[in-house]
Amino acid sequence: MNKSMKKRLPFKRLTVMACFMMLFVWVFAAGMTGSFDLKSQAYAQTSGNVPGKTLGNQSDSDFWRQLRRGQPFDLSGTPGGMQVLIQTPGEEWRSLRNGPLSYWGGLLILVSLVFVIVFFLVHGRIKMTGGRTGRAVPRFSQPERWIHWFIASLFILLGFSGLFVMFGRYVISPIIGKDAWSAVASASMQAHNLLGPLFIVALVIMLGVYLKDNIWQKGDLTWVMQGGFFSKGHPPSWKYNLGEKFWYWLLFFAGLAVSGSGLLLDFPWLAERVQQLQLAHLIHGGSAVILIAVSLVHIYLGTIGVEGALEGMTQGYVDEKWAQEHHGWWAEEAMAEGEDVVEGAVQAGQPDNMPAE
Amino acid sequence: MTFLEITEGPLWVLASSVFVLGALWRIIGIIRFGRKPDISIPRASALMGAIKGQFLHFVPHGGFSFRTRYHLVAGYMFHLGLFALLIYAAPHVLFLKENVVGFDWVTMPRWGFILSAEIAFAGLILLWIRRISDPVMIQISDADDHIASWLTFLAMLTGCLALDESHDSLRALHMLSVEIWLIYFPFSRLMHAVTFVFSRGYTGAFFGRRGVVP
Repeated sequence: MNKSMKKRLPFKRLTVMACFMMLFVWVFAAGMTGSFDLKSQAYAQTSGNVPGKTLGNQSDSDFWRQLRRGQPFDLSGTPGGMQVLIQTPGEEWRSLRNGPLSYWGGLLILVSLVFVIVFFLVHGRIKMTGGRTGRAVPRFSQPERWIHWFIASLFILLGFSGLFVMFGRYVISPIIGKDAWSAVASASMQAHNLLGPLFIVALVIMLGVYLKDNIWQKGDLTWVMQGGFFSKGHPPSWKYNLGEKFWYWLLFFAGLAVSGSGLLLDFPWLAERVQQLQLAHLIHGGSAVILIAVSLVHIYLGTIGVEGALEGMTQGYVDEKWAQEHHGWWAEEAMAEGEDVVEGAVQAGQPDNMPAE
Repeated sequence: MTFLEITEGPLWVLASSVFVLGALWRIIGIIRFGRKPDISIPRASALMGAIKGQFLHFVPHGGFSFRTRYHLVAGYMFHLGLFALLIYAAPHVLFLKENVVGFDWVTMPRWGFILSAEIAFAGLILLWIRRISDPVMIQISDADDHIASWLTFLAMLTGCLALDESHDSLRALHMLSVEIWLIYFPFSRLMHAVTFVFSRGYTGAFFGRRGVVP
């Protein structure tokens, strides 16, 4: 082999190597671009998408991003067409329910309870000045009493079962354990769902029965301006003072809100979207804690807080002294009319005539 | 033995035995009381009066219809709702088939179950409210009446709590409350469920013999 042949051999080798390299690059590029003529753009250059071939032209992260943002998908084998697998607003609902609603709602009820206890310790029971007269003024008719106690019974049952459902996981479950709490929660939910519709019927009837005496009257503001319930004296008022009217109208609006939202929660197929149920749940819980908090004050005043108040709702009449001290304007009207006779009691505003024995 | 097995086993046998034997004892006692001979001149059939009395007393006499309207409506709400629940609710039919009669029958749909339960609850609560607020009812009610009302309410409430049929403990609690109710039944005013036949019959026969509509 002469020198010229030795020089030609390396060039030939280089040429063959170069061809093989070009072939290799072409094959690699064809694989990357997905086309033999290398015309498609590389995935790395297509609008920021991560290269990949999970679902045709879509990457994994795109797919999960759409899933996470609540895009509906056509799921095979499910009725109703497109389905949303993950709805992100549900996380916001969950945070609200377990966060501010539970925290502030529970705090509101506790503050109300503490307020009632402190008020009782400071003021004691509000008694009739100089004692009873023994004469009766009719205050609540039998239908008024019956509907009141009917709705009160349901309120107590629904209130307790609702509080168990709302706060039980924080208060009861740590004490009795998760297994027992599961049974209590199930029981509370069933009782709450069953008795809820009864409350709605009772509420509507009660709001109608008590409406006429709970309209704004001239003099209502006077009661407030003179200190209302916190006054040292007894500012006059009509059959219901402004505090009692406030309770009525709170029951009207919050009661109807809790009823409407509760109805949707009890019959969830009436809702078109799950977001409606989430909103209904927040309205239901929020209205309920407000009602429970204020009801504690109502129950206190109607039972141990004010002497002579309870018998109005149990027997239908109150003592003349109580009527004059707490609802002076109403007492004057009621005694002057003298239409409703209290059987078995001395009628206020009339000459003393004990019933014949 | 679990709590549920006890309440659906030996305790059920005990309670149902006390119920049946106690009710029989009371009925035999009433029959053995007899009645003094009626020496009035028979103007019509006492037997027909007794039969008519069973049905006529389902509605109040004309003059009393206004005053009795409340407890008539509440009473029927409670009793009819409760009977519908006891006889046609699916869990009850299944229990009766397995433990009492050995056969089943057509049951209510779930919505009927819920509706009956709500009507029964409403009736019971309204009747209880009347008992504690009406001056006459306050006078004539005693501990027996209140205990019977509360035991009945508890049996219904525990049934409502177990509606989901998801926890044995809730089912057992309902069984226990029913068994207490069954044991109390024959020795209390709850026996009116049986004795009303006798009292309506006696009143009907008394007036029927005299030719008066009972």
